[in-house]
Amino acid sequence: MTDKIYKLGKYTHADSMSDLICNNYTMLLVLSRFGISLGFGEKTIQEVCNQNGVDEKTFLAVVNLLISNERDETSVFGHDSIQCLLDYLHNSHSYFLDFRLPSIRHKLISAIDTKHDNAAKAIIRFYDQYVDQVHTHMEYEETTVFPYVRSLLSGIKRGDYNIRVFCRQHDNIESKLSELKNILIKYYPPGNVDELNSVLFDIFACASDLASHNFIEDNLFVPMISQLELNVKKQ
Amino acid sequence: MSKKIRVAIAEPSEILRAGIIDVLRRINALDIYIIEISDTDQLECVLCKYTPDLFIINPTATDPHITGKVRTLCGNNKIKSVALLHSLADSHTLEHYDDSVSIYDSAEQIRNKIIKLFNVDQQKDIPKELSKREKDIIVEVVKGLTNKQIADKLFISVHTVMTHRKNIAAKLQIHSPSGLTIYAILNNLVDLDQVKY
Repeated sequence: MTDKIYKLGKYTHADSMSDLICNNYTMLLVLSRFGISLGFGEKTIQEVCNQNGVDEKTFLAVVNLLISNERDETSVFGHDSIQCLLDYLHNSHSYFLDFRLPSIRHKLISAIDTKHDNAAKAIIRFYDQYVDQVHTHMEYEETTVFPYVRSLLSGIKRGDYNIRVFCRQHDNIESKLSELKNILIKYYPPGNVDELNSVLFDIFACASDLASHNFIEDNLFVPMISQLELNVKKQ
Repeated sequence: MSKKIRVAIAEPSEILRAGIIDVLRRINALDIYIIEISDTDQLECVLCKYTPDLFIINPTATDPHITGKVRTLCGNNKIKSVALLHSLADSHTLEHYDDSVSIYDSAEQIRNKIIKLFNVDQQKDIPKELSKREKDIIVEVVKGLTNKQIADKLFISVHTVMTHRKNIAAKLQIHSPSGLTIYAILNNLVDLDQVKY
């Protein structure tokens, strides 16, 4: 049961960018990862993308996939789209590692009651271990998967790797964050409620954002690269 | 794990079929598998092939004795039938079915009817509190002992240790040793200097 108004069907290049954002505020994160800044007035998605040098097809594929959760099997993507998605994924990684996760850590420290000093240490340790895992996960993509894709884009298929390897070992990175959320909600004794709530909101949002990020990788990035592998092979 | 329920929906109207499936989708507590039947002439054949646990059927489109027939054909007396009512129906028609749902029923009402038909336990009887033994296990886990070491120390089998750990994870919804560490410290089971994770 929802009282929210939503668009039936997918967003297209002719829809207004501000409609997209106002009806789906989480798309704000998508905008910044494509390097698009606010203040686009009444411009359409196409106009805003052109103005910012963003591949419109990739932009629409990402937002429609995130909003509908349904993959459009018919889309065919060119090299520009793949390059654009690589940039997008790279920016997402920076966002999580350089901004989001440190900011949650900061809030967590100030929200945890200092009366439970040992527990506070254990919680921060848990969190730091988690962030390490995310680092490893994303670094693998940055140092192994993305260079592989760039070499494919330049027409070279390396024999020792293919995107299915990535697909198989691509685990969900948000589950441990959910565990922390569980622990705080179920077992944490009363502390600074407002600050704790605020950090919990952030953790919920970040966990779902990480899940979306993985969803894009599994359902847009991987199919795109499989297609590219086939094309390079044919040549 | 919730019980798997195979639900056949025999309703010629595509809009109504899609509607029912969408409502069933909202019933989270049940693990539902759908068999769609649009052509009621195919009914017996499809039902025999898939042997559903429940079929929801438009009573005006089918033979009223269908419930008995299907049970005989499938050799399964436990198959439940529910009449799908578009409008008021007389009690004589309805007595051929185990229950009925109206197209105006809410998801909640439909859910309750299905639960009643299948006697699904809503509450799984897992006691949520940890036993003394489980707490002992947690203490050893967060100190960094392996299952084998824990088994030796507490004079139990490795298998028993694993069962305890499974139950602990199910009760607390905490799966990692570092998560258990936080739990153990918050509940004064160990001190920080004792833990490994």
